[in-house]
Amino acid sequence: MNALLEIQDLEVAYRSTAGRECGALAGVSFEVYPGEILGVLGESGSGKSTLAAALLRLLPPNGKFRKGTVRFEGQDLLRARQRELQKVRGGRIGLIFQEPSMALHPTIRTGEQISSVIAAHQALDRRALREKTLQVLAKVFSADANRIAESYPHQLSGGQRQRVLLAQAIACSPALIIADEPTASLDPSTQQDILELLRTLRDQLHCAMILITHNPAILAGLADRILVLYAGKVAEIGPASEVFGSPQHPYTRALLKCLPPPLTENLRPRKSKLTVIPGESPNLQQLANGCRFEPRCTDRMDVCTTSEPAETSLSRHHAVSCFRYGG
Amino acid sequence: MKLPSKLAKWLIALGLLHGAVICAGFFTPYDPGEQDRENTYQPPTHIHLVDSQGHFHIRPFFYRYLNREDFSEPPQEDTTKIIPLRFFAKGARYHLMGFIPLSLHLFCSDPGSGRIYLLGTDAYGRDQFSRILFGGQISLLTGLLGAFITLLLGASIGTTAGYYGGWRDGLLMRLAELFVALPWLYLLFALRAFLPLAVSPLEAFLLVVVVVGTVGWARPARLIRGIVLSAKERDFVRAARGFGASNTYLLRRHILPETAGVLLTQAAILIPQFVLAEMTLSFLGLGVPEPLASWGNLLANLQQYSVLVSYWWMYLPALAIVPFFVGYLGLASALQEHANPHKIEVGVTGDTV
Repeated sequence: MNALLEIQDLEVAYRSTAGRECGALAGVSFEVYPGEILGVLGESGSGKSTLAAALLRLLPPNGKFRKGTVRFEGQDLLRARQRELQKVRGGRIGLIFQEPSMALHPTIRTGEQISSVIAAHQALDRRALREKTLQVLAKVFSADANRIAESYPHQLSGGQRQRVLLAQAIACSPALIIADEPTASLDPSTQQDILELLRTLRDQLHCAMILITHNPAILAGLADRILVLYAGKVAEIGPASEVFGSPQHPYTRALLKCLPPPLTENLRPRKSKLTVIPGESPNLQQLANGCRFEPRCTDRMDVCTTSEPAETSLSRHHAVSCFRYGG
Repeated sequence: MKLPSKLAKWLIALGLLHGAVICAGFFTPYDPGEQDRENTYQPPTHIHLVDSQGHFHIRPFFYRYLNREDFSEPPQEDTTKIIPLRFFAKGARYHLMGFIPLSLHLFCSDPGSGRIYLLGTDAYGRDQFSRILFGGQISLLTGLLGAFITLLLGASIGTTAGYYGGWRDGLLMRLAELFVALPWLYLLFALRAFLPLAVSPLEAFLLVVVVVGTVGWARPARLIRGIVLSAKERDFVRAARGFGASNTYLLRRHILPETAGVLLTQAAILIPQFVLAEMTLSFLGLGVPEPLASWGNLLANLQQYSVLVSYWWMYLPALAIVPFFVGYLGLASALQEHANPHKIEVGVTGDTV
């Protein structure tokens, strides 16, 4: 099957006010296939949000592409003209930003915020626009689409605002939706609702999704494939069942061990502490030689301190960047 | 939307003041150009209710001043003839707001019976009160048009610099620094020296408006640039860009509305400053010329020593701007308080021309 989105060796750096560059993504390559959900897993500072912004060239002014290509439906987005890019943004790729309270304009009614997405891509008259907006809203709200359209963002709850953002993302039936921490600020039951909605929308619209999160529990049972990002590099990528079932990279293994046990098993007095990965994620301005995970790795070898491992395929779809597997 | 009471109060006060100037024809008894060569440099007419015999009159009346042989003596009223005031009476024809032909006046006297000069007359016997109100039309229009041009220039230049950034920002902001640094009054003298000595009143008026309007754009441009710079980095603007919003949409819907508060406050600060600028220019003879009246050229009479020492009522045009100044500055502070309720003080600084 042809890939919908192909990312080759993407490198992104941020320039600090002092003029120093800090690499946020250091050669990331992966593909997204039509209709699949790719979960991107990584801790703070691993480059998750940079990845989301970079795909649509929405980096902050001090962010810079060093090299690489982002090919979407045959078009190189990093070299596309501004006008072409505007057609892709929102039209073919829907983006859901991290903070639902910040990503909506505070003084514009939500209905207009959704219809402006549609208006940016389709020439419709007022009535058709209004109708389409309500249709889109009805896909994410089981009831009350009319009232929501007339509300201002501050009149909505966090979950409702997240749904409005979802409506913006799906308004033009895109082929790909990028969701950056779509559930980070929600309570657990609303989280489940939104995740359920994401799955339903994927099935209805047959679109692919990149679901970016720091929480492996969110991806379990939802993502088809998992990409584990560590310090701007792909640590491991593979089908969700394999990555979660038998994690190969030492970082993936450590990360999954950090998950708290289910509440029911934890009702006894807490004798055992939660597992953590020792150390901190590396300072990207002062990278040492060798594997980026080496200082925290429990499985390190001599070679790890001197050179960086390359990606090694374990099976047709499963690849790991670690010297344990050949590197 | 309900306006806060403070803002509403200032708006109403300014509205009344402007109404009086706009409808000058109704509030004044005479045409501002009409001369009365018999009564030059007449002091303000006194309005009486009790006549020289001690009789009380319900209708206010006034006496004519006797013509003086010797101007050093105080003027004497001709108490033999009572001239009653007429309210809402017909008098000189005028055009209300420039296009409605009318002859109704708030007050005047019967034609032929003697003329009332509330604020005295000038060297040609023209009624100062009429000239001050009509002059306000020119002065305030200069201020309003000047502020409009300034803010239009300032907003478009500031928005371009802030939104697009890069070399445009650098170029425009260096230009703004140049404009702030130039000594405008002297440049204006030079500019006026190049132009023909006698220009028509309309040309002179437009010249003043354009000069006053283009000089001041740099300050608002820098303010607007700062607002646009922070506005364009907001999360919802980035999110809107993420769904394919065009620059036009972002500017219209997200960026420019944020500058509205500053634009309004700036307008309220700039308008009186520009009125003052017009007064300066006209006082120096570089602005609106006679026979048109403006607050500036009314004061120009004071350049003669004899006027300066003998006729105190010729200073009165200077007072005309005071209520307008107070009104606009009050409006500016109310607007700023409205925009940032937590910041109460307003610092109004800066000078133009």
